[in-house]
Amino acid sequence: MPTRDDILNALREVPDPEMPISIVDLGLIEAVRVHDGDGVEVQMLPTFIGCPALDMIAGDVKAKVGAIAGVSSVDVRWVFDPPWTVDRISRAGRESLRAHGVTVPDRGSRLPVAGHIIGAEGEPLVQLKTSAVPCPYCGSRSTTLESPFGPTRCRTIYYCEKCRNSFEHLKRV
Amino acid sequence: MNIAPNLQAPLTQLLLSIADDKLLLGARNSDWTGLGPILEEDIAFSHLAQDEIAHAQALYELAGELTGQKADDIAMGRPAHEFRSAAIVEVPDEFDWATALARKLFCDHFDVLRLERMANSEWKPLRDLAKRMAAEERVHVEHTDSWVIRLGRGTPQSRQRMQSAIDALAPLATTLFEPYDGLKLLVDAKIYPGSDFPMYDQWLQQITGVLDQAGLHATINVGEPDDKGGRRGVHTEHLKPLLDEMCEVYRIEPGAAW
Repeated sequence: MPTRDDILNALREVPDPEMPISIVDLGLIEAVRVHDGDGVEVQMLPTFIGCPALDMIAGDVKAKVGAIAGVSSVDVRWVFDPPWTVDRISRAGRESLRAHGVTVPDRGSRLPVAGHIIGAEGEPLVQLKTSAVPCPYCGSRSTTLESPFGPTRCRTIYYCEKCRNSFEHLKRV
Repeated sequence: MNIAPNLQAPLTQLLLSIADDKLLLGARNSDWTGLGPILEEDIAFSHLAQDEIAHAQALYELAGELTGQKADDIAMGRPAHEFRSAAIVEVPDEFDWATALARKLFCDHFDVLRLERMANSEWKPLRDLAKRMAAEERVHVEHTDSWVIRLGRGTPQSRQRMQSAIDALAPLATTLFEPYDGLKLLVDAKIYPGSDFPMYDQWLQQITGVLDQAGLHATINVGEPDDKGGRRGVHTEHLKPLLDEMCEVYRIEPGAAW
């Protein structure tokens, strides 16, 4: 009979399709239940509504958990309660993402507001926003938000003025 | 919580009005893919389109649970007069960047306020979905506000173009608030709690706050919204061509998997 730990260990081997992090570290798993000894139910929280990776993740979970000895069926359910937020990403997950040039908003931080816009008459381009997001490469806080919309719906693009690298920062949701 | 029979039709109307606004806004946003004024905004608008269409899909799925239809069929299979969208999301932006932003200014602030009301709904499926959507939508508001302010305080040309776009769209802005049959029932049942009037004031205050920072202004008729009938199925001449383009593939073979 599969235990909850067996299942969680298997889930730790399911990566997010777009980022170097497991779905457990990403905070997707809300509940794991074993019914009647061999039927497994996994409740997961979608990161972004309608994210195209969700179907792939559900398929990977079914395959991985289904391969555990003694598991007869795997039921994957997406639930919205509680809503997923970046605060669910584990410490290890944050470290792994940072090592790959993707930073995560601090726990409990708020969406940066457009309060730093300074522009005078005739200044051609006003900086969109300044930020205190540290660069994952050099640690400098001289970084600016290039675009709140990055390569996927969960990511934004920042630029480090010090080491002149672009990096990605997860969207604060 | 089961939905009482007399609330089913109003609730479907509510879900459709939100989903239709989002679907059409998403379609209009997606026009900018490949044509954005700078690369980041090209990506941003493609991304915004994905967000809005994904939200619409989730809402159509919820509506489909009430009506027994599939999300795709609701989105693509209805004639124009069955849409419940507001006039402001239907009009084309003629590939004018300022117009695209002015529309988003009016719509995004409205959308967040509407989602925040739904996030207090007594109906759990709507409440859970709205909470999640509101978090995504707040990022849209931030993006729109910072661009409106940036352009308003930029060059004489950027300010003039932003102001013209706001002047052109402001008369349609209150179409977002048009009421529909049964709305009061939903409010009373706390499925859509709160009231349109404080929401309208809040919206106006937010828009005015952003425009003040940008050095721009909008003339919006305060008071009863001007009823053009979008929420009742009376639409601008722009909706049908938009649907014809958007639904072209679906209509070739409805129900096909692709």
